[in-house]
Parts: sequence; structure tokens; C-alpha cells
Amino acid sequence: MDEEQARELLGFLRLDTRPDLKGQATGYILGLTGSVEGRTLLAGRPDFLEALLLLTGDRSLAVVKDSYHSLINLSVAAATHGALAKELPVLLHRLLDPGYAFADQVCTLLSNLSREEGTCRQVFQAMQEEGLGLARAVEAFCTEGYNQKAALHYLGPLLSNLTQLPETREFLLDRSRCVVQRLLPYTQYEASAIRRGGVIGTLRNCCFEYKYHEWLLGAEVDLLPFLLLPLAGPEEFPEEEMERLPVDLQYLPQDKQREKDPDIRKMLLEAVMLLTATKAGRQRVKEKGTYLVVRELHQQETEPDVLAACEKLIQVLIGDEPEAGMENLLEVEIPEDVEERLQRLDREEERQQETQSEGPGAQTGSQGPSR
Amino acid sequence: MEAAAGQAEEAAAPFLDKFQSQRYTGGFNPKSWEQEFDKIPMFMKKSPAEIDPEQNPDLACLQSIIFDEDRSPEEQANTYKNEGNEYFKEKNYKKAVISYTEGLKKKCSDQDLNAVLYTNRAAAQFYLGNYRSALSDVIAARKLKPNHLKAIIRGALCHLELKNFPEAMAWCEEGLRIDSKEKKLVETRAKADRLKRAEQRDVRKAKLKEKKDQSQKEVLLTAIKERNIKLFLEASKEEDEISDGLGEMSLNGLSSDSVTGTKIYLDDNGNLNWPVLFLYPEYGQTDFISAFHEDSRFIDHILVMFAELPPWDLERKYHSSNLELYFEDEAREEMYQLNTENTLLQVLQHQRYFVKAGTPTFLVLVKQSPFSKNYFFGKKVHRLK
Repeated sequence: MDEEQARELLGFLRLDTRPDLKGQATGYILGLTGSVEGRTLLAGRPDFLEALLLLTGDRSLAVVKDSYHSLINLSVAAATHGALAKELPVLLHRLLDPGYAFADQVCTLLSNLSREEGTCRQVFQAMQEEGLGLARAVEAFCTEGYNQKAALHYLGPLLSNLTQLPETREFLLDRSRCVVQRLLPYTQYEASAIRRGGVIGTLRNCCFEYKYHEWLLGAEVDLLPFLLLPLAGPEEFPEEEMERLPVDLQYLPQDKQREKDPDIRKMLLEAVMLLTATKAGRQRVKEKGTYLVVRELHQQETEPDVLAACEKLIQVLIGDEPEAGMENLLEVEIPEDVEERLQRLDREEERQQETQSEGPGAQTGSQGPSR
Repeated sequence: MEAAAGQAEEAAAPFLDKFQSQRYTGGFNPKSWEQEFDKIPMFMKKSPAEIDPEQNPDLACLQSIIFDEDRSPEEQANTYKNEGNEYFKEKNYKKAVISYTEGLKKKCSDQDLNAVLYTNRAAAQFYLGNYRSALSDVIAARKLKPNHLKAIIRGALCHLELKNFPEAMAWCEEGLRIDSKEKKLVETRAKADRLKRAEQRDVRKAKLKEKKDQSQKEVLLTAIKERNIKLFLEASKEEDEISDGLGEMSLNGLSSDSVTGTKIYLDDNGNLNWPVLFLYPEYGQTDFISAFHEDSRFIDHILVMFAELPPWDLERKYHSSNLELYFEDEAREEMYQLNTENTLLQVLQHQRYFVKAGTPTFLVLVKQSPFSKNYFFGKKVHRLK
């Protein structure tokens, strides 16, 4: 598309354009966003992005929908975030408006925007400035029917992305409140893998905060059963083994199914793994019969990287305690030569499989709908 | 000045003189001064439960002042609230409820006060264990003041006691929306969640046990049916109609616990072991064998049981060689003699044998004894050839 065509097209993308022309233009744009070239082209044009943003306020439902879909597709590219971030205040208010019909679209858009750490920070800041803190977001997430027209499942990945930031983790893990506890039941939420995955990603990121492990593993939060339950099947253990397991994993019915999504299974195992970083945490995780659950999973597991995660965890659960000074595996100082060797091994591993995130990371695989 | 003083002195003089001649009569009695002391309102350590105007006119007087009907309903209600709070502090919850109720009866226009009265009454009811009344009080309080945090906390605690765990959690979450750091609410929610999950586990455990018991019962029934053993059915059925199919052979005819609390069971070798009752009608005695292996013979048990003559055998005649065993066909009121060399299984398979209440029962009589002759009178007896 040359500059003149672009300007002409842009001219149709205005609120005061004739409805039929407007509709055609937005439809065309959406089509463009379906291809790599189209996306690249539009990503570099803040004027188009701003126009689309304005059109989300249009009267025609079709125009609004198409505009949102285009923006969602485009927001995957970090290059668009500069222009899009300008509208954050408006978007956030719409997100948490219980009556806003397109809250799901806004949610998906925000979830894409928050993947980049920089934009994520901006989202969080805008939330604070607009007085729409995390508390509101969690409330909306955990209230059934908060918005009659939007399921808001993408709040899951949004929360998960936000927990890239230590500030958000701190809020979620506030001991004097009841925030993270409200998320726990959603590790079993069957109706949406997006919501479920988002929660589990959030919890996994929170597990990087080892100072909170004792509290997380204790009675006030009791995180472990919620991580293990999706990994458990309808196994029948002998009575004494059964009674060792956390209450939520005892006497599961015969139709109990394991988590179907392998990425989610992997995240769950990673989260449990993180909880074994401290000696005290390791102790707790072991004594709650985690090994039993992971062993059974390992026998049934077919996905290679999930299997690998199982094996790593099993090693920790049945292995000997590390030597003195190594009790917190997250804080261990690795000597240089060992470090080098490990890095080489990591690179090898990477070449063989998908990258595993080393630190609290953004949600992969939740890009939102494309055309 | 001097004149006035002088006048006072003059008036005082005859008054003072009185003390010299007359005894003061209004003083305390040296023997009962402590009781009298306690009756003076100002020196009371605690107020009496009931105020009797005749016993205690001063106190009754004070009471009528503070509960004066002329004061505004708000003032009266407030007084009742305070009274209730005092009783509450003393842990006199019954009285507290009464005071708060009186306060509410005033129907004063101060809704905040009424909400507090309801909430406080709810607390008193809570400590009396009247959780439902407490709950209805907090609901009433919240109608007046939906965000009254104390009412919400109390409501959550009531639901917890009533084991309505999801409701308890919902109330906690409502309260936390108002004050996200309210300690009691955070605690209570965690507790309710724990108890809810434990309860869910208990339900699962019970279900699993029921399933197991059921399948065990079915295995037993199959084993019994395979052996062509008939169970006595309580419902009236044609005696020749042998029930077909497991479903019909009602599990009720095979009660899981026999009369003496033992079950039939299938052992590891696939053999049935039955609880068996031996009756000795002559002396009204019984013997119970908790696990009679189906392939064991009666005679072997008899030899052991009567190796020594039982103490109730007054005529010393119950030697194993003298004994005859029978079972009764109740439907036809006929008796059948057992061949003691037979196994239990063989006997149970008898065409006219019906197992009642899961416990095969047999009668033991002495050969040719006068008692047995009597016992058989009027009955048809099928003897061994």
C-alpha cells in the first residue's frame, strides 16, 4: 500500500465517516491484520492505531468489534505499544465497567499489552493512577457474573503478566489481606483453559518469592493442594498413604481427570518445584505426599517436557538434602566454572526444546483471537 | 458576722444536745451491717437480679428514673442498649437479649442505634448457641445498615457454626470488600475454607465406602446364588417362587449384620463363612459360631462344642452322640433332621432351607428325650432314614 492509499484509507477510519464506508474500511483493516505483512505495515503506523482506538467508541457494533479485533492482532507486536499505551486509562475503566459490552475484547487487548515488561509497568502504573488497583481486578476476576456480557477469562493472563512485576506479586501475597487465596479455586476451573492457565501462571510467578513460601504452604493459604489437584488422577492409594495426602487429594472419584493442557501441567510442576527451593519448604512439600502424586503422573505422562519437569521434581523429592550453605536453591552462589558448564548445558537444552522461562515470565501462548 | 454565727450556734445547741440523750437509731446494726451496706445503691458491688421495690426502694427509684417513659424513644433505647451491654460483659447473655429486645421494642428512629441493638443481640444469641436467631438478627441489622462490619463478621461466624461453609466464605468476602484487612474476616474465611474442603473429603470418603460395601454385597450375593442357597424374603412371596436375578434377591434378606453383629464373608479361597446359631430349646440356651466354614461338617463342630457337657445340661445328657439337629421350614411349619456328617453347604442347599437374616439357625435336641417328643407334637418331622 502506498502513502496515498494509506491516507485515503485512514480518511475512512473516522467516527464521522458514512457508516457503510466505515464498516468496509474496518473490515479491510481486520483482513490486513491477518497476514504478517499487513501486521508489520500497520504496526509501524501510529496514526492508524489511534484511529482504530477511536473507532472502538463507534456506534456500530460491527465497527467496534472489527476495530478491537484488529487492535488485538496488532498488539502482539511490541512496536504498537507506544501508541496503544496512550489509551490505557480509557481501556482500564472499560475493563472494570460491569456494564461494558466489549470488556472481553479490552481484556484480551490488555493481556497482550502486558506481556512486554515495559508496557506491563505502564499498565500497572495507569491502574494505580486511575484508582483501579489490583484489588478491583481480582474482585472482577473472582466474581461470577461481574459483567453479564463478558466472561473476562483473559483477566487470568493479564494478572499473570502483571506478576512479572515485584510490586504486583507483593500485593497478591499481602498476608493481611485475602487476595491470593481467592485465586486458588480457579486452578480447577474447567470452563476456560485461558482463565485456568492465567491463574496458574500467576501462582507460579508468585512462587518465586521464597520469603512467602512458609506462609503459602501453611494453613492460611495452603497453596500446595491447589497445585497438585489438577495433576492428580483417580488413583486409589492404600489407606495410610491416602491419609498422608492433603485433604483435597483424598478419595478422589473415579472420574477424576488430569489437567489436559500440557503447558499448564508444566507450569504446575514448575510452581511446585519453586516451592522446594528452601529447606523448610522442601520438608513441607515432601511430607504432604507430593511424591505420590508426581509419581503417578509420571507413569501416565506422554509429553516430553512435562516428563522432564516430573523427573526434576521427583529427584528433589527423593534425593538427599543438599550440603550446608546450599539450603536455598534460589540463592546459591554458583562458582564460575560450574556456571559456565550449566550455561552450555542450558543452551543445548534450549536447542532441543522450547525455552523454559528462567524467572517470573509473561504468559506465552495466549495471543488472543486472530481473524 | 458574729451575730449570724451566734444565731447558728444557738440553734445548733439543742440539736446537739439531743445526741447526748438520745441514741442514734438510723445506724447500721453491728451484726448485719454488711448486708445492709450492700443494699445501699451507691455501695452495691453488683446490682441484684431482680429489683423488688419493697426490699430495695432506693434502687427501684433510680431505675424508674432512667427508664422513665417520658424520655424519648431514642434515649430509652440507648439506655436499654447500655443495660444490655452491661449484662453482656457479665456474660449474662439471656438478660442481655431481653434488654436489647426492649430497646428494639421502642422502635426509635435512630437506625444506627437499631442496627447496633440487632447486632449486639445477635452476639448475645451467638454465645447462647442460638445461631439461627443470631443470624436473623444480623440480617435485620444489615437491612438497616448494609455495611455494618460487626454484623457481617457475626453473620460469617454464625454460618461457620451452622456449617454453612460457602455462605460463611461469601459473607467474609463481602466484609472484606468494605475493609480488606479485617483480621477476623481473613481468619474466618480461611477457617471456613478448610472446613469446607475437609467436609468435601468426608463426603467423597463415604461415597467410596458405600460403593465398596455395595460391590462386596453383590459379590456375596452372587456367591450365594451360585450355590443355590435361598434367602428368606420378608415380603410375602409364593414359597415356590425362587427369586431370579440379583436385583430381586433383595439385599435386605441379607442384612449386613446378623442378629449378633457378624457378617457372612467370602474368604480368600472363595469359600463362604457363615455366622451360625445353635438353639437349645429345652433349656432356652444358644451357641453362636461366628465363622462356620461352608465345607466344614456339623459333626466336627458338635464334637468340639460338646467335648465337655455344658453347665445348663442339668440331666447330663447332651453328649455329642445323643444329639439330633434340625432346621425348621417356617413357611410350612415342618422340621427337617440334619445329617450331621453333612457340611453346612450341603444343608443350606436343602430344597426347603431358607436362610433368615443372614444367620443359619439350627435346633439341637436330645434323641428320644421327653422334651423332644413334646416339641415335635403337632409338627410334621422329616427324619433321616
